[in-house]
Amino acid sequence: MTTLTALLLILLILMIIVGGKTGFKSYLSVVINACLLILVALLISWGVNIVLVGVIFIPLKLLTIIYLGTHDYTVAKNAFLTALCVSLIVMFIIILFENLAQTQGFGDQAGEELIGLSLNVGISFSQIAILVAIFSMLGAIAEASVAMSAGLLELKRHDPNITQKQLIRSGNEVGADVLGTAMNTILFGLFGSFLPIFIWYVRLNYSLFEILNDKLFVDEFLIIVYSFIGVLLTVPLTIIFLAHTLTNKENKK
Amino acid sequence: MKKNTKIWLSLLVLVVGIIFTILTYFSTSFANKSVAVITDSQIKDVLVDKTKDNYENKDEVRQQTLHLKIISGRYQGKKFTVTNTYSLSQAVSQKYRPHQRVIVSFIKGKPKLVEPKRDWVVVLSMFLTISLIILITGKQASLLLISMILNSIIFYFVIKSDIRENGTRIFLIYSIATILFTFVSLVIVQGFNQKMLVTLCATLLGVFVSFSIFYLVMKLTHERGIDYEAVDYATQDPRALFLAQTILGVLGAVMDEATDIVSSLYALAKHKSDLTFKELFISGRTLGQEIMGPLINVLVLIFMAEALPMTILYLRDNNTLVYTFKYTLSLGVIQSLSSAIGIVLTVIFATLCSAVFLRNKKQRW
Repeated sequence: MTTLTALLLILLILMIIVGGKTGFKSYLSVVINACLLILVALLISWGVNIVLVGVIFIPLKLLTIIYLGTHDYTVAKNAFLTALCVSLIVMFIIILFENLAQTQGFGDQAGEELIGLSLNVGISFSQIAILVAIFSMLGAIAEASVAMSAGLLELKRHDPNITQKQLIRSGNEVGADVLGTAMNTILFGLFGSFLPIFIWYVRLNYSLFEILNDKLFVDEFLIIVYSFIGVLLTVPLTIIFLAHTLTNKENKK
Repeated sequence: MKKNTKIWLSLLVLVVGIIFTILTYFSTSFANKSVAVITDSQIKDVLVDKTKDNYENKDEVRQQTLHLKIISGRYQGKKFTVTNTYSLSQAVSQKYRPHQRVIVSFIKGKPKLVEPKRDWVVVLSMFLTISLIILITGKQASLLLISMILNSIIFYFVIKSDIRENGTRIFLIYSIATILFTFVSLVIVQGFNQKMLVTLCATLLGVFVSFSIFYLVMKLTHERGIDYEAVDYATQDPRALFLAQTILGVLGAVMDEATDIVSSLYALAKHKSDLTFKELFISGRTLGQEIMGPLINVLVLIFMAEALPMTILYLRDNNTLVYTFKYTLSLGVIQSLSSAIGIVLTVIFATLCSAVFLRNKKQRW
C-alpha cells in the first residue's frame, strides 16, 4: 500500500467515526474538491477557455465545499450566499493586483524543474495566475462563512428567543475569534506551503529589495492578502445576512 | 472603538499607505541592483516567430525594443536600448509596459532586464489589508497585526535555526516552533485565561497526535509513493523539508478549529447555565462536523492550487495524468491528508477539553 492510499483510508474511517453521515459527506466533498482541481488542470491543458473554466468552477467548488461539507441546510444556504458575494468582490481586487504585479508563470528559482519542458505552450499564464489566486482563497472564504453561520445558528438553537441586537453582538464576538484564527490558518498554511522558498531566500542571502521584487514572493504575499481580504469581508456579510433572515422568520410566525 | 473613529482611522491608514506606495514606487535608495525606467510611450513590439512545439502547441514569440534610462546605481543617468523576447503565454518570459520601472543587472557594462519593480504593489496591498482589518475589526485590529508580525518574526528565526542545523533536528525545531506559534497567536488574540489554555491544549494535542499518526503511517508503508524529488526549491534534505512543511500546514487549521469549537462552547456554557456534559459533547460534535469539511478544503486548495500552473504545463506537454500527478500534486495531496487527519481528531480533543467549562459552573454555585 502506498502512503497516500493508507492516509486516504485512515481519514475515511476517522471522518465516519467522528462525523457519522456528515463526516462521510465531508470526506466526499474533499475528494470531489481535489478531483475538480485536477479536472480544471486537464480542461485548461486541452485548451478550454480559462475564463469559462473559472465561471463554471468557482461556484461549483463553493457548492461542493459548503453543501457537501455541512449537514445543516440553513447553515449551508447562508454560507454559500455569503461566500459567493465575497468571492465576486475579491475577484475584482485579484484582477487589479495581478495586473499591477505581473507575477504570472514561474520564478527564476524553478529553472531546474522546467528543464525538458516546452514553455511556449500557447496558454495565457496571466489568466492561470488569476484563477490560481481565486482558487487559493475560495477555501478560506467558504470555511469562514460556514464557521460564522454555524456558530450563530447554534446560539439561536439554544436560545430561540434571542433578539437581533443580541445576535449581532454575539456575532461580532464569534466573528472576532473566527477572524483571528482564520487568518492563522491562512498564514500557517502558506508558511508551510512556501517554507522551501523562504529557506532559499535566507540561504542565498537575498536582500530585502530582491525579496520584495521577486516574482514568487510577491505572488505568495498577494495570495495571503486576497485570502485575508476575503475572510475579513465574510464576517460582516454573514452577520448582516443571518440577522436579516432570522428576524424575518420570526415576523412571519 | 466608536464606529466613526474606526472609519477615520482606516481611511488614515489607507492615505498613509498610498503615500508610502508612491514613495516606494519612485524610491531607489534601498535598491542594491540598478533600477531603470522605460522611456517609450509606445513600445516597438514585433512578431519574431510563430512557434509550434512537438506537442502541436502554438504560441507566438515576440520581441520588444525598449529604451531604458537608468535611475540608480553606477550607470545612473545613462540611456540604453535593449531588446526583450517574450512569448504570449508568458510562462517564464515577461512582457514589459510603457513607462514601467524595471530592475536591471549589468554584465560587462551591458544592461540585462531582470524583472519589473514590484515592491510598491506589496506595500499597496499590505496597507489596503491593514486598513480593512481596522475597518472591520476595530479594537481587535492591533492585536491581529501584532500576532501576525510576531509570528513572522518567529518564522524568520525558525528558518534561521533550520539553516544552522542544515535540515537536521527537524522534529525538535518545528515542535518548539509549533508551541511558540500557538502560544503567541492564542495569547495575543484571546488573552491569558482559561479559555485560551483549553484551546492551547486542544491545538497541541491535535497537531502532535495527528503528526505522530502521519509519521507512523509513513514508516509502516515504507514511504511508498512519496517522491521527494518533487519537493520544490529544495536547498536541503527534501524529506526533512517535506515533514516540516506538513507540521506547519496542520498547525494553522487545527488552531483555527480548536478556537472555533472552544469559543462557541464557552459562549454556550455562559449562556445556558444548566448545560450537561452530554449536551456539550453533542454541540461540540455538531459544530465540528460543520466546520471540518470546509476546513480540510481550505488546506487542499492552498496545497493544490499552488501547483496548478506546473500541472497544466506538464499536461500540456503531453505527459500522462499519472506521471503529472506524481511530480506536481502528490506531495500536496499527502500534506492535505495529514492535515485533514489532524482536523478530524481536533473535534474530539477540543470538545473534551471544553468540559472544563462545566466544572466552573459547579464551583461558582
